Amino acid sequence: MFLTRSEYDRGVNTFSPEGRLFQVEYAIEAIKLGSTAIGIQTNEGVVLAVEKRVTSPLIEPSSIEKIMEVDTHIGCAMSGLIADSRTMIDRARVEAQNHWFTYNERMSVESITQAVSNLALQFGDDDADPGAMSRPFGVALLFAGIDPKGPQLFHMDPSGTFIQYDAKAIGSGSEGAQQALQDTYHKSMTLKEACKESLVILKQVMEEKLNATNVEMATVTPQRMFKMFSKEEIEGIIKDI
Amino acid sequence: MSLQMEQHEYGTPMQRYWSPYAMNGGTGLAVSGADFAIVASDSRLSEGFSIHSRDAPKTYQLTDTTVLSCAGFHGDILALTKYLEARLQMYEHEHNKKMSTSAIAAMLSTILYYKRFFPYYVYNIIGGIDDEGKGCIYSFDPVGSYERETYRAGGSAGSILQPLLDNQIGFKNQQGVVKTPLTLQKAVQLVKDVFISAAERDIYTGDSLVIRIITKDGVKTETFPLRRD
Repeated sequence: MFLTRSEYDRGVNTFSPEGRLFQVEYAIEAIKLGSTAIGIQTNEGVVLAVEKRVTSPLIEPSSIEKIMEVDTHIGCAMSGLIADSRTMIDRARVEAQNHWFTYNERMSVESITQAVSNLALQFGDDDADPGAMSRPFGVALLFAGIDPKGPQLFHMDPSGTFIQYDAKAIGSGSEGAQQALQDTYHKSMTLKEACKESLVILKQVMEEKLNATNVEMATVTPQRMFKMFSKEEIEGIIKDI
Repeated sequence: MSLQMEQHEYGTPMQRYWSPYAMNGGTGLAVSGADFAIVASDSRLSEGFSIHSRDAPKTYQLTDTTVLSCAGFHGDILALTKYLEARLQMYEHEHNKKMSTSAIAAMLSTILYYKRFFPYYVYNIIGGIDDEGKGCIYSFDPVGSYERETYRAGGSAGSILQPLLDNQIGFKNQQGVVKTPLTLQKAVQLVKDVFISAAERDIYTGDSLVIRIITKDGVKTETFPLRRD
């Protein structure tokens, strides 16, 4: 019996003879359709910046949210099927509060990422209990935060794999953006430089012209914790570009 | 049997007894200084007028920097300490780090409160080193109310020891006293003295004293004999 690739990508839990889970790989592909998101870690804090696709002038831009607060010390940027991220952000927030409730300390960025990654592979097509996902998540996340180890940036993909990065780009422009980050990133980068750099790179990879309404930006610093940038603050950075 | 049961008419008040708890005595004590903490307990395990064991210390080392003292019902102490050990291990695996003393204290509080209506009959005191390297003590009631303090006595002779500590460490009820910071040497000596006093008056405290000295370098254990009658 010979089965081609197209037959092994039906069941979400069936390995192909080469040992691949196609549905999970397709989910990772789905991220590349999403808008670009960038995270940069510096010694002073972490910055998250995302592109917002405002496809119609009748859209209210502030209703597109792609950076969210998980806890006072952790933020999350996303790319892909944003609706899927609701479940994951919900879990992240619950885990963070649970940890604080039980241990009276802030949960580390790695632990939050780990907790959310446990959701990623909880899908299946048979004997699914109510509320379980029938397919992998179609979203990638960038977790940025401050913990005892300092500023931290983690990337998680639909397979649940998570890796720590100094700088990471996800979404449609991620290839170009990642290359640009590799060229410009250095360990002694200040947060201000990182904020500017993230917008410079977004500007390069975005199809539309970058302005204060079609990007979102947030920082997590030891002093101010998670902070979303206002339209005016973003305009201030754009002016310097 | 059936005759007896028929004697009770419907609706007559009846009393049944159920006592899932015992009191096995024991005294715990914790004292903290600038860079150390001491957790001590006696080693007598008793019930009523009988002594079950003369060698059952009530101190439990939880991590390199945290020691717990438990007095009360020995069955609950065994259950609670075993569960704590499991939770400590789970935390370490989940978060890739040892639990801090303050996190253990917060966790113990939630563990105790989850059994609010069928409590662990255990009086807990945690001693250890905090995140800044200072000595710290947390005292608890059996249902999870807790507080950070600098010294605390608990268990069967807790109410005998506490006023002594208030006077000697807290410098309470003294006039014109110079409040000198507590040294490790003085603290150890004081712990021995107050336990000797407790063993004189409390029949549930005696046999021997186990002193756990916690510093940033780890936990050292010292034992000291108490009266055995």
